[in-house]
Amino acid sequence: MSARSPIVANIRRNSALYIAVAPFLLLFLLFNIFPVMFSAYLGFNQWDGFGDLRFVGLENYIRALNDPIFRKALSNTIFLWFWSTALTVGLALALAVIVDSYVVFGRNYFRMVFLLPLLVAPSIAAIILRMFFTSNGGLVNMLTGAVTGTPTYFDWLGSEFWIKPLVVLLVIWRWTGWHMIIFLAGLQSIPRDLYEAARMDGVGRWAIFSRITVPLLLPALAFSIITATLGGVQMFDEPYVLTQGTGGTNNSATTLGMYLYATAFSQFNFGLGAAVSWYIFAGVVTLTLIYRAILNRSQSGVA
Amino acid sequence: MRKLLANRERRFNLLLTLGAVVLSVFFVLPLYWTSVFATRTLGEVFQFPPPLFYGDNIVQNFQNIADVYPPFRPIVNSLAVAVPKTILLVFVSALAGYGLSRYTRAPGHKTLLLVSFATLFFPPSLALIPFFLQMSWIGWLNTFWPLIVPAAASGFGVVWMYTYIGSTVPRELYEAAEMDGAKGLSTFFFVVIPIIRPGLAALAVWTLVETWNEFQVPLVILGASEKFTVPLALTSLSTTHYSDMPAVMLATLMGLVPVFILFSLLSRQFIAGLTSGAVK
Repeated sequence: MSARSPIVANIRRNSALYIAVAPFLLLFLLFNIFPVMFSAYLGFNQWDGFGDLRFVGLENYIRALNDPIFRKALSNTIFLWFWSTALTVGLALALAVIVDSYVVFGRNYFRMVFLLPLLVAPSIAAIILRMFFTSNGGLVNMLTGAVTGTPTYFDWLGSEFWIKPLVVLLVIWRWTGWHMIIFLAGLQSIPRDLYEAARMDGVGRWAIFSRITVPLLLPALAFSIITATLGGVQMFDEPYVLTQGTGGTNNSATTLGMYLYATAFSQFNFGLGAAVSWYIFAGVVTLTLIYRAILNRSQSGVA
Repeated sequence: MRKLLANRERRFNLLLTLGAVVLSVFFVLPLYWTSVFATRTLGEVFQFPPPLFYGDNIVQNFQNIADVYPPFRPIVNSLAVAVPKTILLVFVSALAGYGLSRYTRAPGHKTLLLVSFATLFFPPSLALIPFFLQMSWIGWLNTFWPLIVPAAASGFGVVWMYTYIGSTVPRELYEAAEMDGAKGLSTFFFVVIPIIRPGLAALAVWTLVETWNEFQVPLVILGASEKFTVPLALTSLSTTHYSDMPAVMLATLMGLVPVFILFSLLSRQFIAGLTSGAVK
């Protein structure tokens, strides 16, 4: 009886869809959704991974907020996310515009060369950077020593001030090429005659950039900023390897991701770690929503 | 007047180009220097001025790595993770992408599509702890399975194959296949896959590189050093044999070579993989 109903027949006819999507959805459900649901539960409990779970309500969430290291990790993460995103996206945008419309030779060279660091794992890039910035015989100290005339043994990696800029430098080095390629693809969709017409009318370079290029590039910009933010808020590999897991002098480069890792895998406080991961998630969601709101607003303003 | 302006413009453009050249040198220099240091002795590396060209100490440096671990073991481990994961991920993604792009009128299609897109915004750090616990319950800790099987479900892969198939496979082809009596899945294997090969290659290259470079999840899952993938082995080596810079640089170089070979062979697919996300 029910087999004859149109809905069931429709489902039958399209059964290949459900079969095709099933492996993906099952794997995702089993290894992502289920763990995350467990993490929500874990956040309200105290647990070292062995004994019984002890329900503690919001204690983990409050404890994190009261922990000075968590607060430091929060402010470090905000610093690293903001500067790495702003500088990487800014530099990539400038490079993309230069390569797209100003470069007089080597366009293909530029498209490739900035991408090479993307092939290098963040952790490996951090190892290379460490080598250059070691206090004793590192390349950077050698060069500054040569310039000033006296040998220098400055401890860049141990410096509370410099460690964060070094992490930012690492992100810029690795990611500029990626953002540049995204922008170059976006720039190609802007009709050339728009530029021609503007130039004919005597519009200056800066005005062309700010009035034509940037507004028309907004979708690519939003995509790139959101991607950089997703990475920046969850940043782990770069500061972890750069500080050899210590977080630097006085936790000067400890990020939320590293705090989460330390609570769970060094202190075996899985409940607290889970609570921290939900704070990170809240940060990601908030920032994404803010970007979307700004994007929608500016797009409706253009149209 | 006009000529003067054109001249000024040309000079400005040349200046920008040179600026970009200088900047590009800074982007390549660390990699170049890594390869130079890998061939030098410890003494040469700490010399001033530092060596700019290749030396002849590469065999000794290799020997020094071999004293710590079998030099090719991390590469073999990384391959053992990256290759099966990539095959699985590309297959699962292509299959789901095909279903979503073909059966647009099926009941629940919209929900399935929405769910697939939503998985893109799923932050990995949220699942890290429970995923570790889950793997320990299954008994998968210290094996490659957690890095292969769960990782095959990629929202990025599905969304990408969905857009790729939608834009490369003409709908008439499905109608023709249906008229010939081909079922949905056999259409996928015999009609769709041959057409979307370039897309599969692009997703595969991108996945291989991503997997090769993964650090946090392997760090949590793999405890024993015999199982270390390239980033883990290098991080550990650079901590324990910190003072032997040439050996660490050589090990780093060896870990980079497979990815760079892949890139030089398939750079176009790799770049296609990058931009696909932006062009939605």
